[in-house]
Amino acid sequence: MIEDKVLCRCEEVLESEIREAIQAGARTLHGVKIRTRAGMGLCQGQTCQRLIARILAEETGQSPAEILPATYRPPCRPINLSFLSGVEG
Amino acid sequence: MHEVEIAVVGAGPAGLSAAIEAARAGAKVLLLDENRKPGGQLFKQIHKFFGSKAHYAAVRGIDIGCRLLDEAQESGVETWLNIPVWGLFGNHTLAVIRDGRAQTVRAKKIILATGASENALSFPGWTLPGVMTAGAAQTMMNIHRVLPGQRVLMVGAGNIGLIVSYQLLQAGGEVVAVIEAMDQIGGYAVHAAKIRRAGVPILVSHTIREAHGREQVEAATIVQVDEQMQPIPGTERRLGVDTVCLAVGLTPLAELGWMAGCGFAYIPDLGGFVPLHDENMETTLPGLYVAGDITGIEEANSAMEEGRLAGLAAAEALGYLREEAISRKAEVRQRLDSLRLGPFGEKRQRAKERLLGECRGQLAKQEPPDVSKSCQDLTRSRITVVTGVLSLEELAGSPGYPSQERLRSGKVAVIECMQQIPCDPCVGACPRGAISIAPTITDLPVLDAEKCNGCGLCLPACPGLAIFLVDLTFSPTETLVAFPYEYLPLPKVGTEVEAVDREGHVVARGRVVRVQNPPRYDRTPVISIAIPKEFAQVVRSIKRSGKR
Repeated sequence: MIEDKVLCRCEEVLESEIREAIQAGARTLHGVKIRTRAGMGLCQGQTCQRLIARILAEETGQSPAEILPATYRPPCRPINLSFLSGVEG
Repeated sequence: MHEVEIAVVGAGPAGLSAAIEAARAGAKVLLLDENRKPGGQLFKQIHKFFGSKAHYAAVRGIDIGCRLLDEAQESGVETWLNIPVWGLFGNHTLAVIRDGRAQTVRAKKIILATGASENALSFPGWTLPGVMTAGAAQTMMNIHRVLPGQRVLMVGAGNIGLIVSYQLLQAGGEVVAVIEAMDQIGGYAVHAAKIRRAGVPILVSHTIREAHGREQVEAATIVQVDEQMQPIPGTERRLGVDTVCLAVGLTPLAELGWMAGCGFAYIPDLGGFVPLHDENMETTLPGLYVAGDITGIEEANSAMEEGRLAGLAAAEALGYLREEAISRKAEVRQRLDSLRLGPFGEKRQRAKERLLGECRGQLAKQEPPDVSKSCQDLTRSRITVVTGVLSLEELAGSPGYPSQERLRSGKVAVIECMQQIPCDPCVGACPRGAISIAPTITDLPVLDAEKCNGCGLCLPACPGLAIFLVDLTFSPTETLVAFPYEYLPLPKVGTEVEAVDREGHVVARGRVVRVQNPPRYDRTPVISIAIPKEFAQVVRSIKRSGKR
């Protein structure tokens, strides 16, 4: 067994934690995300999402086409929340 | 709220081209980019591009970027830089940050040209400083002028891995090896040949197992893989490197498309999930267009053409251009098609057809690639795609290689271009019309060796650096070989150099006879060396003098 490694660097989530989440029932990237926070950090999954998708496919037997990206919501770029206070109507 | 007719998100090659076309057509265009400088990845591309004259062939990416910026300014595009777009609501409203606060931009048409992001690869040690994507290394070198490391392992032998390896060498680094998990080199053979003759090994069916080091990368272990991509025990090798570059593909950057709710398809040949679009680059949401890598990973030329198409179509939909639109769009589509010809482009062409088909609600028929119809297709040659080096047998059968008889009669060009890639600057570079590529741009260059007088003007024009000059009649004992050489320092005339073969092995001593580097060669110097006669077919470069 090769040593464990960090998969989501922003939130420091280990590969073993991702696999545990899947074994606990996660079937989507969204499911892994809400269980582990993987993909919730600064880069919003830009780095780890595909790596996690591969593990999901491997663990669940789904095809890559079935593994949709986790839901994208605004803001999709890291922004200072104080900026939002001045949204125009 | 800011109102415009057309908003373009992303000022890379696709976005710039879209904005220019739409503004020229008369539309009021706003171009947005989150970076401080426009151009996307173009300003990192210091190599000459492939393609035809219509596609800026043989022009370096940086110079294409400068031209596009000028054109954008001239055509009246309003450009907002350092403005992140953080949301897309419906198909007409963008959320941005400007002047330190959230604002909205309402546009009648929106073109998403957000590009792609680089894929990662996870292995023990992948979070160590010194592991980076190839694009990051390119940014460090070509934008910030910082060499990312002295000894680099490149993971991935697609065009990005090959090109960035070459640029690492140009920047004074050493590339210890390029490894590729597939059983063949994915990028163009001419790119592979450039780094092979610089002495860089390319190991196919190899992957990285681990990066070692305490505070940063100090070594990497690579391992051979079998057909199922499984590591073969006992084949591990430890390489002393301080940098590991990952060039393992790109993923279309389409968050705004997902957010807006447009239709997507999963197409592995295009890089994963891509927004569906029609012949006008319009997504399933009316008024929302896409162009460039967001619609499938291709290259900058295709991105520019897709951008033009989207820009024309969006302007047309607003009532500009009128009858002219049909012919203008047809011209762009024709140029796009020509970029998707040949063994490399066919796959993308079929993938794009599938995308259009799915957009129409009908899955286009998936036909297997018909390799038989291209009789000149030598891409499948195992030797080249595995090693990146052309064999003399392969070359002898190539239409760009002069006959032995012609070689014996004096100075002549030798074209070592054996894959059907869409590229033709050599044709225009020859003042005597000795090189032809017909009927399509992906046909191999044919050399009319009787017309060729060995002037050498085709050498610096070839973006693949795949044309050489050989003069067997140089002296009774020596042959003259000329080759493109884009490294510093340039050798001095009269000095002795180590002549290398196509694999970078030193095979003979040579003497520098001529160093040509006039402005019209556009920074591709041509070096002529005298070598013993028997190495005429073997020597293709020189060992680079002292690493800096």
